[in-house]
This record gives sequence, C-alpha cells and structure tokens, in this order.
Amino acid sequence: MEQIKQKEKNLNPVETIVEKLYELFDNNLVRYSVLALMFAFMVYLPLSSSRFTQEIMTNMLFYVVVCLGLNIIVGFAGLLHLGYAAFFAVGAYVTGIMSATYGINFWVTLPFSIVAAIIAGLAIGAPTLRLRGDYLAIVTLGFGEIIRFTVRNIGITGGAVGLIGIERPVFFGIILNQISHFYYMFFILAIIAIFISYRLHDSRLGRAWQYIREDEDAAAAMGINVVSTRLSAFIIGSCFGAVAGSFFAAKMTAISPDSFMFIHSVMILLAVVLGGMGKIPGVVLGAIIVTLFPEISRDIGQYRLIIFAIILLVLMIYRPQGIWPERQFISTKR
Amino acid sequence: MTFWEIFLQQLFNGLLIGSFYGLVAIGYSMVYGIIKLLNFAHADIYMSGAFVGLVALSFFANTAIGNAWLGIILSLLISMFLVGMLGVLIQRVAYRPMLKAPRLSILITALAVSMLLYNTVMLLTHGQFKPFRTGLTHDSFYVGALRLTETRVVLLVTAIVLMFIMHQFITKTMYGKAMRAISLDRDTCQLMGINVYQIVAITFFVGSALAAAAGIMAGVYYGTVHFYMGFLIGLKAFTAAVIGGIGIIPGAMLGGLLLGLLESFSTQIPFIGTVWKDVFSFVFLILFLIFKPTGILGRAESERM
Amino acid sequence: MLKNKNVLLLMLVVVFLAFGVFGCGQPATPPADPGDDADVPADEFEGEMLLGIMVPTTGSEAADGVDMENAALLAVEEINAAGGVLGYKIVTSTGDDGCDPSMATAAASKLISEEVFGVVGGYCSGATLPTLKLYGDAGIPFVVAASNATTLIDENPGWAFMINSTGDAQAAKALEWFEGLGVETISLVDDGSAFSVDLKDQTKSAWEAAGYAVLTEDRVETGTQDFSAVVTKIMSANPDGVYWTAYQGLGALLIMQLRQNGYEGVIMVGDGSSAQELIDLAGPDAEGVYCTAPPVVDFLPAAQGFISGYKAMFPREPGAYAGLMYDATFLLMDAIERAGSFDGEAVKAALAATDSFEKLTGPIFFTPQNTLGRSNFVILVAQDGRWALAE
Repeated sequence: MEQIKQKEKNLNPVETIVEKLYELFDNNLVRYSVLALMFAFMVYLPLSSSRFTQEIMTNMLFYVVVCLGLNIIVGFAGLLHLGYAAFFAVGAYVTGIMSATYGINFWVTLPFSIVAAIIAGLAIGAPTLRLRGDYLAIVTLGFGEIIRFTVRNIGITGGAVGLIGIERPVFFGIILNQISHFYYMFFILAIIAIFISYRLHDSRLGRAWQYIREDEDAAAAMGINVVSTRLSAFIIGSCFGAVAGSFFAAKMTAISPDSFMFIHSVMILLAVVLGGMGKIPGVVLGAIIVTLFPEISRDIGQYRLIIFAIILLVLMIYRPQGIWPERQFISTKR
Repeated sequence: MTFWEIFLQQLFNGLLIGSFYGLVAIGYSMVYGIIKLLNFAHADIYMSGAFVGLVALSFFANTAIGNAWLGIILSLLISMFLVGMLGVLIQRVAYRPMLKAPRLSILITALAVSMLLYNTVMLLTHGQFKPFRTGLTHDSFYVGALRLTETRVVLLVTAIVLMFIMHQFITKTMYGKAMRAISLDRDTCQLMGINVYQIVAITFFVGSALAAAAGIMAGVYYGTVHFYMGFLIGLKAFTAAVIGGIGIIPGAMLGGLLLGLLESFSTQIPFIGTVWKDVFSFVFLILFLIFKPTGILGRAESERM
Repeated sequence: MLKNKNVLLLMLVVVFLAFGVFGCGQPATPPADPGDDADVPADEFEGEMLLGIMVPTTGSEAADGVDMENAALLAVEEINAAGGVLGYKIVTSTGDDGCDPSMATAAASKLISEEVFGVVGGYCSGATLPTLKLYGDAGIPFVVAASNATTLIDENPGWAFMINSTGDAQAAKALEWFEGLGVETISLVDDGSAFSVDLKDQTKSAWEAAGYAVLTEDRVETGTQDFSAVVTKIMSANPDGVYWTAYQGLGALLIMQLRQNGYEGVIMVGDGSSAQELIDLAGPDAEGVYCTAPPVVDFLPAAQGFISGYKAMFPREPGAYAGLMYDATFLLMDAIERAGSFDGEAVKAALAATDSFEKLTGPIFFTPQNTLGRSNFVILVAQDGRWALAE
C-alpha cells in the first residue's frame, strides 16, 4: 500500500479529487444504495415525465445495448469494427420482413433475428478475422456499406422506402404501443446486456479475448485459437445488435436503410471509445453522453459532430483509455 | 454505339477515373508504408484540396489571370502546397503523438480527423454542392471512335505526369530512399541517423498534395464539389492501394488504373449494371484482402517476433 | 473492480441528477418570436396556441428545411398581425427531423409532448413516414407541405394532409410533357432514395402503360461524381429523353456529363431538382432542361407580396418549398376558423372538407386519401440561367 500512496503524491489536482471520491464510495453499503436509488429513479421516470423525455431515454437505453454489443467486439476483443450498424440492420430487417410482410408474431421473430445475426457474424468474420486490425476496419466498413446497399436495392427489404407496417408486440395481452412500454423494454434489455457483459468479461472466453487483444502471439502460443475466439466475439456482439435492432423495428413500426448508415456505426463506436473501450460502466456512460448531449440545445446540435470529433481527437491523444481512469491495480479484495 | 465504340469509351473512362484513384491511392500507400496507418482522413484531404482550389480559382477568375488553364494550374499549385501543409499539420497534431500507441487508437484518431474535416466543410457550405467554374470550353473532337475533349486529355496527361514525378521522387531521391527504408524498419533508420519525423512529415506533404491535385482535377472535370465527395473516392482509392499492394507506390498507381477499368467495364455487365457497381468494388476489395492481402505487386511480409 | 465501480457510480449519479432536472421539469421550447408584434396589443389575444413545425434544420437538407421553417414563421407573423386565429395568438415550436427517421420520431414526440394543436412541415419522405402514425395516435392534424412519396398515402391514418402532389401526379405530368415533345423512349435515373425511387417507379408504370418503352434504368449513389458509366450506357441506348428523379447536386452532374458527351435528347428533372441551384451548378449545359416542378413562388402571380415579405424578414430568397409551407400554415389556420375550434377531430374534418383553398399555390382540396385533389405540377424550362414557365 505504501508504494501506491507514493504514486498518488504525483497526481494532479483533478486526480486527487477523484481519489478522494473513490474513498467515499469504497463502502459497499454506499455503493449498493446508490445503485438502488438510480434503479428506482429509472423505473419511476416514465410516470412523471413527458413523452419526449421518455423518447430520449428510450433512445439512450437502446444505445446502451448496442454500445455494449460493439464493446464486446472493440473493447473486449480489440477488433475495430466500423460497420456495426449492419448487425442491427440485420435484426431490424428480419423482424421487419417477418412481421410486416408475413404477419408473424414479434416474439417469434426474435430467435430468427439471432440466427440471422449469427450467420452475418460468421459471414463477415470468418474470411476476415485473420487480417490485421487496420484492414479489418476497412473491411467491416465495406461490409456495412454492402449490407446497406443491398437492403436498399432489393425488393424483399422494401428497397429505399423500407418496410412499413411492422406489428407491435403483444405481451400477455397488452399491446405495446406506448413509449413507456418501450422504455421499460429497453431498460430490461439494457440490464440484461450489462449483466451478460459482466459475466462474459469474467469468463474464460472474456479473458481469452483480452489476452488476444493485448498480445495476439503470446495468446496463440498458449493454445488459444485466435480466429475462432475472435469469431465468437463477432457473433456475440452481433447478437446484441440484432436483438436491439428487432426491438427498434417494433418501436418504429417502419424502418428504412437511412437508419443504418456509416455515420450511425461511427456514433456507436464513438460512444464506446468515449467511455473507455472494454470498461462496461464506461461504455454505458459513453452511450448516455452521446445520446443526451445533442439535446442540450438546438444550436449546439448543429455542431455536435464537430464537437464529438474534437473530443474524440483530444481523448485519443491525451487519454486513450477513455474518460474512465485506468485501473491502478487489480484488487485482491472482493 | 457499336461494341467497339463502347469498349473504347469505357476504356478511356476507366483510365481517367483510374488515374484519380491512383493519385489518391498513392497517399494511402505512402502513409501506410511509413507509419502503418490507414489514414481515414486522406479522402477528406482530397475534398479539401478541391475546395481550396475552388476558392483560389474564383479569386483568379476576377483577375487578369482568369480561370482557364493558367488559373487552374496556379490554383492547383496553391492548393497542393496549402493542403500539403494541412497534411503535415494533421500528422503533427494528431498522428505523431500516437506513434507508440496501440493501433486501434491511432485508427480512431484518423476517423476523428476525417469527421472534423468533412463536418467543417459541410457547415461552411451548408451541405450544398458548389459549382466549380472554369473558363474552359467543352468542345469535343474525335480520335477514331473515341470522343474526347481538350479538358479530359489534359487531365489525364497531368495525372500521368504527376505519377511519373512521384515515381522518380521515390526511386531516385534520398527522401524517397529514406521513405522506403523507414517502411522496412523504423528503429534502425533512426539509429542510422535518418530524421524519421522529418521524413514522415514530407511523406504526408507529398501524399496530401497529390490528393489535393486529384481533388482539383475532379472539380475541373465534373464541375461541382461537395463536402462528401471524398467518402466514396476514399474507399475506392483504398481498394486500389490494396489491390496494387499497400505500401508500394507503383502498386497504388497500378491498382488505381485497374480498379478504374474494372468499374467501367463492370457496368456493362447486365447483372451488375450501375446499381451494384460500388458493391462490386467492395466485394473485390474483400476478396483481395482474403486471398492476396499483399496485392499484386506485394511481397509476403514476415513478422518478426 | 472497486475503483471502476466507484467512479461509475459517481459519474452516473451526476449524469442522472442532471437528467432528472432536465427530465422532470421539461418546459416547452420557448416559442419563436417572429419579430415585432406590437401591431396587435397582447391583451387583445385570448391566449396562445402552439403550432408545431417539423423540418430538417440540421444535416444535409438543412438549407431547404430552414427555408420552410422561415416560410411558416412568416405566415404566423402575418396571421398574428391580423388578429390571430379565433382570437388566439399563434406561437411555434420547431422539431428537427434531420431527414432521418429516428430523429423525426424524436422530433414528433417532442412536439406531441408540447401539446401542439397541429403540425406543418415534412420534407424528406423517408423521415416523414414514421411520424404519420405518431401524430395520428395523438390526434394532431398534420399538413404535409413537401413530402410526396406515394408510400405516405397508405401509411396515413387519416390525420395527415398532403398539399404537394404525389409521385403519381408528377409522373403523369412528365408523361404528358414528354408526349407533347414527341419523345417515345426514355431512360430513367434515380439516386436510390425513397422519394426518387418512388417517382421513378411511378414514371415507369405510367410510361409503359401508355405504350412507350423505358430503355434503361440506372442508379447513382450520393457522393458519386463520376457518371461516365451511366452516361455511356444511356448514349449507347440512345433514348429520346432522360428523366432524373432525384436532387439537384447529382442532377447537375448528370446533365453536364450527358451534354458534354454529346447527348442531344430531351432532359427533364423531377421536383427534387427544381431549385435554382441546379442551373447554377450545371452552367450553360442546363439550357433547355425541363423540370416537373411544384408551384415555385417565382412564377406565382399571387406571390410577389410573399417574396418581398420573406426577404424582409429573412436575409435570403425563398426556396422551392417556401410557398407550399406558407400555404400549409394558412390552410391549417383556415381549417381551424371553419371548424370553430382547435380540437383535433374538428380541424381534421374541416381540412378534409376544404373546398378550393386559395393562397399562393393554387386551389387546395383533398381526395379521400388526403392527397391533393389536382396535380399542382408545372413544367419549367431553364432559360438564360434561370427557370421559366414552359407552358
């Protein structure tokens, strides 16, 4: 402990304040009660706020889910994926086609959506995961664009117009068509996503991902199959995206290729990087910031992409680990 | 039009667009070769070059220089210089601090720079297309069955000349030799007394200047410029660089021409047509990356542990 | 794990507190104040009613969106100066749809939360589409000023009223004009966007139904500059006419490259390219190009007062859709006057019953599907660097 305290003496004022705040929250009781309060707040929110607020919060929760999905690919496994919007397009369109064109019940479309995601993840990942990071980035961008082009130009997906008339899901007799319904649904999805992310992070697979990310060759030398481990990251990440996409389709009842463009992939990536790639709480924070920031004012909204670009730039140069402070040590306390 | 006429026309089209791809691809190749970075911002440098050239040209249009070839050449030189410096600035501010950082971070930085550039231009132009007015005529003449204009011929020649100059620069000068050396082994070069930072700066200058030139030529050729004109060209040029062999300059040129030709002719295939032309290019890129990532002219690299 | 969680909590708490303040107490956006309304003393109004404006004010279509917003603000200003509607002063709130379906949904939600009595706007059809249901469910009448893809018709739950002629009307106009020029074979080019593909499909069916042939159909993506492949294809097919169904940026490129390659047939563009910008961009090559256009204010006799009023209030010329937006606003107010109340159902019924409402863009009345009951398209021709009426 002495050595750690020595290190702390060299911290700048900001970090000293942060250290003090750590101590405040070191208490388990404090921590869990704050979490419980926030949970309660989130549950209570739709009952007292405007439709618009709920819309924004639902969007934010949706972003949390997709960002966690991308986080598995970029954060855990260290693979730069610039075409993530394609995965959630797959989910959205599978649900869209099955629901709007064939009238199939929404909940039935979910497993198909996941299967489609697995196929997409395999199709994109299998040929390309041997490539170096930089190439992978461009290839994923290319795939994202290919999927968008394809969807825009073939009949079954409704072409450029997209699909309309997607059915609202029915849950034990309640038709889910209020914004508050979707708020709760995405809230539940976000919690599930956070939970799964934490479990994955601490699992064998999760550790394998991090190992590969840090040193690919050493990991291979230890017997980890780099390609198939990366592939599983791709596939699991794509499943998150596809499920989110299916719910998105149900909420919007009309989807079009305009919602799945490169800029959307970039925004999701931005949120993940902003918060700190690989750190689940950081990613959640990043998703919150990216969705809420443009709502601050309409005037700033115009410049939001430039502001984000500058923030990203500054962050990468001075603090590539994201807003989150880097772990100083692995705690032996549990 | 007869088959032969169509063939010749598409051949010329392919070569012309291919030379644009080639000029931009050289920049990608050079930067990748020297610092192993895929510079996303390069496509937006191309776009910036076109806009700087537009401003210069409209300034000249009101002076004695006018906006015909003299004005265009001057604007070209001005833009190449200014945008070249912009490239140097970007690498100094955004990339140089990142040279020791993980690959992922520097790629994201490049993405951020790209967003910054094109969003700034988008705001400045309110997202509108801007006309690129030149004093040139579009009278055409025929060479056999091929319909040409003075503009096109001059542009193609300019592109070839630029590429030739590049080739000389890389193979014959000390700077060129240093660039190739650095791409093989940066640390040894530093030990040998080569000022790596200076060479990197020069690389960016040259690559950006070429892209700027391509941007202005596109402006002259097509007559309009737009903040998003870089995106598609960037992807195509990158494809060209990969096809030819990334890190290898002649490869970039070759790749550019090949891709241009490929695209032109692919639109004649009924199944693909113009609708799927761009998808076709991407698919081609992916196939190359899977089966021959070192490109046509590339050698297989071995990585040292 | 410890420290990360601590800082997580801290930051999330901060963000949540900030958001709580934001969320629970969200006031409506302060209404835009369109200039001096000292003409009518505030106490002569019985109160204020909020009008929603939904247009893209950011993003690549912002230029047209802001133009439409301006037109609506001008209309509101004039309405208030004349005593308001049913004695109430009209104030506005703008929702930015950014030409993106998700943003549009959020914008619609915002306006609905603010309890607007009606909405005017709608530019990008793709963005407008998902909002139709939202406004319908909320019982808010929506006068759609510009969006006119035929896909909107089916999705309309009855609360939206489209005052810009739809794609099929435009296709019919194109057919009529082409026929008049003796054109028998055409090539169609679109840009893959919802509106453009819709117009292309409508034109194709109308054309073929009339017994003529469509020789080639091509698509160019946004961001493309090089049309040489398309041009070569068209040249080799050699149709009598070419119809471009998308926007002016790419349209200008197509026109220039067609002409410079020696194409001498008729070129016509759809209403997405009806802006003056098309001619500015294409330069001399634009001479003689036709356009199936919405009622552009420059040629409307009633519009001179509008144009000078617009320029007095905003530092620019009115754009292609300003007239329609102005009319949309006045139409809505007129319907309220006729209905005698701001109640959604009553206004909706009044709108449906509109009998030849005349303002700038000509008589407005609706079909049972809530589309404009006549074709409001005109044919323009580019002459001497500007658009002129061709008929």
